[in-house]
Amino acid sequence: MRIVRLIARDELRLMLRNRVALIAFALIVLLTLVAVASSWSHQRGVAELRERHQHEAEHAFDAQPDRHPHRMVHYGHFIFRPLSPLAAFDPGVDAFTGNSMFLEGHRQNSPNFGDVRQSSLLIRFGQLTPAFVLQIVAPLLLIFLGFGSLARETERGTLRLLMLQGASRRQVVAGKLLALGGVALAAAAPAMLGLLVIAGQPGALGLPMLVIALGYLLYLGLWVVLILLVSAWVRRSRDALLVLVALWAVTTVLLPRAVPDLASGAVPLQNRLQTDVAIGRDLRRMGDSHNPDDPHFAQFKQALLDRYHVKRVEDLPVNYKGLLALEGERLTSELFDRYAAQSFAAQARQNGLVNAAGLLSPAIALRGLSMAAAGTDFAAHRRFLEQAEVYRYALVQRLNRMQAQDVSYADDTATDAGADRRKRIGGAHWRAIPDFHFIAPTDATLARAALPGLAILSLWLIAALALLGLATRRLGARR
Amino acid sequence: MTLWRHELRLLQRQRLSVLALALLALLTIAALGTGMAEVARQRAAIAAIPPAQAEDIGAVADYVVRTRDAGSAAYYSFHATWDAPAPLAFSALGMRDVAPYILRVRALGLEAQIYDGDTFNPEVALPGRFDFAFVLVFLAPLFVIALFHDLVSGEREAGRQRMLDALPRGGAALWRRRTGLRLILLWAALGLPFAVAAAVEGVAIDVVLLVLGVIVAYLLFWIGLAALVGRLRWSSVANAATLAAAWLVLVLIVPTLGNVVIDRAIPVGQGAEIALAQREVVNHAWDIPREATMRRFYATHPELADSPPLGSDFHYKWYLAFHQNGDESVAPKVRAYRAALERRDRAGRAFGWVLPSVGVQALLTRLARTDLTAQLAYQDRIRAFHARLRSFYYGYVFYDRPFGRDEFRRAPRFDDRAGG
Repeated sequence: MRIVRLIARDELRLMLRNRVALIAFALIVLLTLVAVASSWSHQRGVAELRERHQHEAEHAFDAQPDRHPHRMVHYGHFIFRPLSPLAAFDPGVDAFTGNSMFLEGHRQNSPNFGDVRQSSLLIRFGQLTPAFVLQIVAPLLLIFLGFGSLARETERGTLRLLMLQGASRRQVVAGKLLALGGVALAAAAPAMLGLLVIAGQPGALGLPMLVIALGYLLYLGLWVVLILLVSAWVRRSRDALLVLVALWAVTTVLLPRAVPDLASGAVPLQNRLQTDVAIGRDLRRMGDSHNPDDPHFAQFKQALLDRYHVKRVEDLPVNYKGLLALEGERLTSELFDRYAAQSFAAQARQNGLVNAAGLLSPAIALRGLSMAAAGTDFAAHRRFLEQAEVYRYALVQRLNRMQAQDVSYADDTATDAGADRRKRIGGAHWRAIPDFHFIAPTDATLARAALPGLAILSLWLIAALALLGLATRRLGARR
Repeated sequence: MTLWRHELRLLQRQRLSVLALALLALLTIAALGTGMAEVARQRAAIAAIPPAQAEDIGAVADYVVRTRDAGSAAYYSFHATWDAPAPLAFSALGMRDVAPYILRVRALGLEAQIYDGDTFNPEVALPGRFDFAFVLVFLAPLFVIALFHDLVSGEREAGRQRMLDALPRGGAALWRRRTGLRLILLWAALGLPFAVAAAVEGVAIDVVLLVLGVIVAYLLFWIGLAALVGRLRWSSVANAATLAAAWLVLVLIVPTLGNVVIDRAIPVGQGAEIALAQREVVNHAWDIPREATMRRFYATHPELADSPPLGSDFHYKWYLAFHQNGDESVAPKVRAYRAALERRDRAGRAFGWVLPSVGVQALLTRLARTDLTAQLAYQDRIRAFHARLRSFYYGYVFYDRPFGRDEFRRAPRFDDRAGG
């Protein structure tokens, strides 16, 4: 152990003497700090803005005057997606998903006003966040610091000297691992510190943060092992550098872009127009509430009349138009759900393909893990959309029930001058409707979603360690 | 000429260099392929509009002809608009993956419709597209670095530099030849597949030449940088490390920092505020005297002021009028929102003057008409079309003219080439 520590200390001293390495290290620390600060303040600003808008929207809804309930169905409601506290560490798809949604009757709207459509083209180059720095920049720094650690010793023949003095191959490699691992820890420290700061926020979850920390440490550890592996395998340090930079470029820059493109080509998504037209077609097949001769609605009406033992809808104790609205909304929402489920399934298949590519690129595995644990991945977005739809349906049906119970059929169908007044019900009704509350996922849910990524990274690390073991055995052998 | 051929033979013997060039050509072809496939998919989606649209409008017509009510026709008819990809779009998909290229609108308030998005998978869009622009902007510099980082230092380290400098037609001429040869090969690996793809897609020849020029210029920038670093007479390893770090800074770090700076410096009043405000005005109309709504509407539409007065019944002319009033009430907000978006976009492009990576991306997306400017132009076409739609329906709704199947056929159709 003493020898291992000596070798590690010697390697670190060499790195410290290298001015360029020192400057690069200082720069990455600075970059991480800037990323933590800017990402945190940006996310806080976004969160506050959304909260303010949400508040305004709720206030506006509650402040609506006496109205016909169906007017409120069309007045609708705006909801804003709350940010996960860990979005400051890894905002994931947040900028791409649109953050406000208009909920109304008969329609399922898309979330709008995503940041990506409101930003300069620079946003497509990536966002400066702690996750970005650790995923992309940190491995390159480690490569620059470590590519020569073993190749240099074999190239210059110093490895033989070390071994003559009694150090085994294993001890040499272990010492270098220790040194570069220490550097990796130091490089990750500012981001981890940022994570701790974020942890101090209300609502931050412990378990996912632990998983994130573990994931990034595994990832950086993997790069340390890969760097030593290549450095041990290749005879000259310049070849080691070229191979490592190529490996980095392919796994962190090329594959993360190319694989999603292939996945979206392999699993096509239906566009909005196709979906809307298909929903319209299915609705006509199910029944047309406007058509008095429509079989579905004729049956619906007859069943109602039978239930209340009356002959005409005018004699029903409830407002037939409200019941019709309830039934219509039930039918359309059923279709919305079915088509949304299809679209979600297709997108999940695309993401499944991308995540499987984590076997080819640890950066992809880490990105998935990080977004999943931070609650900023597609699954988190879908969680919001599904809760929004549940809320929309409950809201609209509640209003439709008000129309059925609190507005009489006679008033509802009247067209005389005073009818408009009689159709309205009190504004207190709107104030009684509960606000939308996003139910945040539990820490176990988030942590579980990150497990596949964690497993893939562990596999990578085990494989790389095994290969490094092999490479260690033939280190310095004449070839 | 023989000297050039000789250099080529020397280069061919470097297995790594040949491999790198072949790989770059392969990546270029793959990126062009995915870009063309995506554009073909978008074209197919646009080509599929008319039958879907005919089916949908047919159903609305079946319902409306029973009452011949023009108001119902206006309310229930969604009209398709689309933004066909420009010939060059395959090379730089820009915003076409996150902004809709098909949008259906109806004659009601446009501000509640125009910001709608299409279905897209955010996790797929997040890393950006794998298109030709990506290969050129992000990957090509890495190949330049691989081929040029040891151009001189490699010979020096092999102990041949003095001899090469002393050769007749050696020295500067030799380095120029070697640089020129590598530049031409890199350019060919990127430019030839691009030119073929552009020819297939029918891109105008001057645009192709311009892009080929941009490729040369961008390669020259990186070659120049490599030469500058080479002059420091460091080892090949140090050169490679320095150039890779420069790549990281110029292509990834500075643009992302720039994004932070621009977001800070130019706040964009959130678009959501427009939607919130428009809804208030529209729905408030139910609570104020209908005459007030009509007066306000006629002030901006005097040509309709002679239409018959409103009765006590619900009338679609009032409904359409307050939707239009809602749009007009938020017009200043809309202008401010758009101006802020354009300011952000301009600032992003301004970065392109100092950062070649951003400059090339901005130029390619501009030429390919896939940038924000193209998005806003599409919105303008939608606005113009919406204006035509409204005036068409107003002609029937305001004067209670019956609306039959012929009228459905006569409704305005969106024209992608003309202004709506």
